[in-house]
Amino acid sequence: MQTFIAWFKTIIFYEILVGMKATMSHLLHYKPVTVQYPHEKRTLPDNYRGMLGLLRYDDGTEKCVGCDLCEAACPSRVIHVVSAEVPGEPTKRYSKEYYMDMTRCLFCGMCVDACPVDALGMSREFEWAVYDKRQLQLNKAQLLAIGDRAFPVREKRLELQHPNVAFFNVSFSHVPPKPN
Amino acid sequence: MTELSLRLAVSLAQIAAVMGVVMLTVMILTLAERKVLGWMQDRMGPMEVGPYGILQPIADGLKLFFKEDIVPAGANKFMFSLAPILAMVPALIGFAVIPFGPSNKVELFGISIEPFVISDINIGILYILAFTSIGAYGIILGGWASNSKYSLLGGLRSAAQVISYELNVGLAIVGVLILAGSLSLVKITASQAGGFWHWYVFALPAPQIFAFVVYVISAVAETNRVPFDLPEAESELVAGFFTEYSGMRFAFFFIAEYANMVLVSCVAAALFLGGWTSPWPGTIPEYLGMPQLAWVEGIFMFTVKVYTFLFLFFWLRATLPRLRYDQLMKFGWKVMLPIALGNIVVTSIAVYLFPRG
Repeated sequence: MQTFIAWFKTIIFYEILVGMKATMSHLLHYKPVTVQYPHEKRTLPDNYRGMLGLLRYDDGTEKCVGCDLCEAACPSRVIHVVSAEVPGEPTKRYSKEYYMDMTRCLFCGMCVDACPVDALGMSREFEWAVYDKRQLQLNKAQLLAIGDRAFPVREKRLELQHPNVAFFNVSFSHVPPKPN
Repeated sequence: MTELSLRLAVSLAQIAAVMGVVMLTVMILTLAERKVLGWMQDRMGPMEVGPYGILQPIADGLKLFFKEDIVPAGANKFMFSLAPILAMVPALIGFAVIPFGPSNKVELFGISIEPFVISDINIGILYILAFTSIGAYGIILGGWASNSKYSLLGGLRSAAQVISYELNVGLAIVGVLILAGSLSLVKITASQAGGFWHWYVFALPAPQIFAFVVYVISAVAETNRVPFDLPEAESELVAGFFTEYSGMRFAFFFIAEYANMVLVSCVAAALFLGGWTSPWPGTIPEYLGMPQLAWVEGIFMFTVKVYTFLFLFFWLRATLPRLRYDQLMKFGWKVMLPIALGNIVVTSIAVYLFPRG
């Protein structure tokens, strides 16, 4: 009897009929899981790690102190920091130049974790397709621009208000403060 | 002289109409296939060109028309150019003997024409089988002339597959021919009128249900569709026999494949599902007292049957993975062929014992 049932299932293509029932049920209960991407976009998760940007304080000064920890933390060697003294203030340092090769970045967020002054942030931008690969070699001005447009409101993290850290929070005379 | 030219004009008009309908169907099919596949796989299918993507076939056609026509180095130019035509013409020429509707006669300028029957030749089904076999030459030559190993392998696979399954198609319809006693598709269709129990799938004394299954499977294999798409297996052979083709020549192969699908669907509808006949005796316009409009229902029934069959093609494609090559051959020769032969024997005995009419 068992063999007869197996034989009967073979001759009526039972397995194929099961599969065809599955596809037909998907057709009848049509509910697309895809979205029409350029017209409608999927909601990103809260902890989405997008394009990197350099941040500023509320008064428009850069947060970055040129410590090179992000460069050390980066597994793909995306970041290149040229650190220098703040002109006229020999005790304070800043990043004179700051380069990111975004063609290599894998968006792990380790640089953001490594930064002691919270100067790096990951925006929610992901549409960075370009025609020329060299447009992805970003300099400091571009990274600051990304940070400015991605984080218009910079909330201070409380632990960064500690005097030992706040010591580095300097303002530069040659960088005009950001208008509110 | 005038009668001859009139007949010529009528014939040309009929040919143009059938070509137009077939090309329109092919256009609809290319969109319908992508849409149905998308819906079955929880996608949307083409959505960009026109509302819900309904103008996508036109965009595809324009794109193919303006594409560069490439002939690969080392290709046999004559054969390379001939192959797409050799694939497309047999696919379109088979529609000449399909009865699309009842064989009403219309008197026009003194001659009587049958608008839904292009030509009623007495070996109609043989004619279709012969021409679809020629279509295989287009594929094989296209594969050989491309000077590419993928094309050649695709062409060789296609040769073996089409020969194996052409045989099963031929044997599967023999039962119907025994029941109908004719090779003319018009006569075969007309003899199935009077309700769905007269269709040869269900007709006593020998229901052709097994032959129908064999025909459906072999038709899918013959048109190189999933799950029998080994000649164009993209995961193994890039694109099979049309790897090297581009532009309008590729479009010819594409049209040939879809026209072949429509053709086997038409043949299946005409042979097994009663063609333009309704599933009930008589027609609804006749019951409503308008017998001159009976052809509307005939055309409608034929269209419904053909499109149901075409939907089955899409449905199979959405469901099944590709067969392995040895499985394909084993299935064709060890399973389909004995069933088809057994069906012939059973049908012959049944018809001998219970002669029809």
